[in-house]
Amino acid sequence: MNFISRILADELPFLFACPALLWEVVFLFLPLLVLIVYSFLDYSVQSHAFVITFEYYKQVFNSLYIQVIINSFILAITTAFICLLIAYPVALYLALKVKKQFRTFLLFLLILPSWTSLIIQIYAWFFLLEKNGVVTHILCNLGIISQSTHLLNNYFSIIIGMVSCFLPFMIFPIYSVLEKIDPLLLESSADLGANRFETFKRIVMPLSKPGVYVGLLLVFIPSFGEFAIPSLLGGSKMVFWGNLIVDKFLKSKDWRSGSALACIGILLPLLIIVSSIFIVKLVKKLSSPNNQQRTNKARDVWS
Amino acid sequence: MMVENKKFFVKFIHPVFVCITYLFLYLPISILVLFSFNDSPVSIKWVGFSLRWYKKLIQSPEIIDALRTSLIVAFSATFLSILLGTCFVLANRWWKSSFLTNLFYTNVLLPEIIFAIGILSIFTFFRIPVGYGSLITGHTLIGLGFTVPIVKARFSELDPLLTEASLDLGATYSQTFKKVIIPLLMPSLLASSLLVFTLSLDDFLIAFFCSGPTVQTLSVYVYSMVRAGVDPTINAISTCFLVVSSILILALCFFKIIDQVI
Repeated sequence: MNFISRILADELPFLFACPALLWEVVFLFLPLLVLIVYSFLDYSVQSHAFVITFEYYKQVFNSLYIQVIINSFILAITTAFICLLIAYPVALYLALKVKKQFRTFLLFLLILPSWTSLIIQIYAWFFLLEKNGVVTHILCNLGIISQSTHLLNNYFSIIIGMVSCFLPFMIFPIYSVLEKIDPLLLESSADLGANRFETFKRIVMPLSKPGVYVGLLLVFIPSFGEFAIPSLLGGSKMVFWGNLIVDKFLKSKDWRSGSALACIGILLPLLIIVSSIFIVKLVKKLSSPNNQQRTNKARDVWS
Repeated sequence: MMVENKKFFVKFIHPVFVCITYLFLYLPISILVLFSFNDSPVSIKWVGFSLRWYKKLIQSPEIIDALRTSLIVAFSATFLSILLGTCFVLANRWWKSSFLTNLFYTNVLLPEIIFAIGILSIFTFFRIPVGYGSLITGHTLIGLGFTVPIVKARFSELDPLLTEASLDLGATYSQTFKKVIIPLLMPSLLASSLLVFTLSLDDFLIAFFCSGPTVQTLSVYVYSMVRAGVDPTINAISTCFLVVSSILILALCFFKIIDQVI
């Protein structure tokens, strides 16, 4: 009895951590494993046993599905870069130009849309752009578009919805990195004769890189798997990965090819991103062989 | 000339760009809110001020039901993820292993739809009917991905001398826990519980997959309404949602814990 209580006392921290870990493993990693296994197994009627098959992967690669996955990849990349283009100047302005009191208010305004339901944000755009909506009405009266033009159900409306929903997720990481930049760095750069552009290029941009990467990831991942925005703002004509998954799992209950689709959808973007990072690094290394020497020289001068 | 151009850019274009971005984010929402007070079922014309859509909201039993479901799920998911996450962080101190903490970052690195099909498949695999259980499970899982990093960041900043001093001065472990560790962790606990609560309230994908035919959360209900077309009642619901989230964020600002979340 004493022995057991001693073990319990020693292992108490471990026991505390267990529930959270179990939760994570049972409800996230186990299902992922099940998905992978599901996508490879097939029940054969002749031998009454499960056999390994690549049939479902072949199905995905041979049909329009692969085109759909590529389409959603392009959509997600486009969204991420448009967000970056808009978010960087905004974050820069918030971090460096605005006074502290006012800054909290502006940040509050940014958090508010990102803390409301995605569906509501989508509905807001739906309400604006639909056939009897305000924007259509105004543009019609101005004579810019004709009565029959649809602002909804096209690629443009999907992109607008995506960008407006995910923009805050790009601004926050960039802002939090820029905010930490020591203003003395900027001053000393100006003192040493760099103009604004030079300071931006050599100091602000390199320092903000981690924030940009986090932001790109935070926008890319949800917009790749997004289902509600294309389905509400894009109409039924445009199909993306998320819509396909919903179709496979909820409507046609075709779980096996759905699992194959899900696995490819997780792995393909990952592969593309990792390989592109690798290629960029390789190209950099090859194109500037004397870069290393230069920094070494600089180090010698300083030391 | 060149210098003047640059000054023009810095002084004028940059602020205007920021303003346009804010307008881009707020124009749809504000028109949405405005038309929720419109006394007409058609969305173009402003007829007059009325609260009739809000009245309709309160009188609809379906919406009240969906709201109750959403609240039950959100409260339980918040409670569970805070409990599990805090226990995990406290225990993690003795191991000093970052690998296990990194496990929880997977929650951010996978599209949410994968969680949804994962939970759906595990519940179907074990023949457990989906409903409240699967919803709370899913939202707790999402919540853990935010609770663990936030609480851990705060916890690793704590001075270990404080707990040692408390133990030296004769407090028992449970007293130290109650009177030293929990109050020091309070800002991060509050921030993450508010975050998880809103995430769960706003979540659509998991609710869409795992709620089953009988249980319906508010966002799924709104989705099915939007599918059917424009209806001022949705505007009224959206306005309520916006008010609730702004109150939650104001609470964050009030407790000065806003920087924990960003």
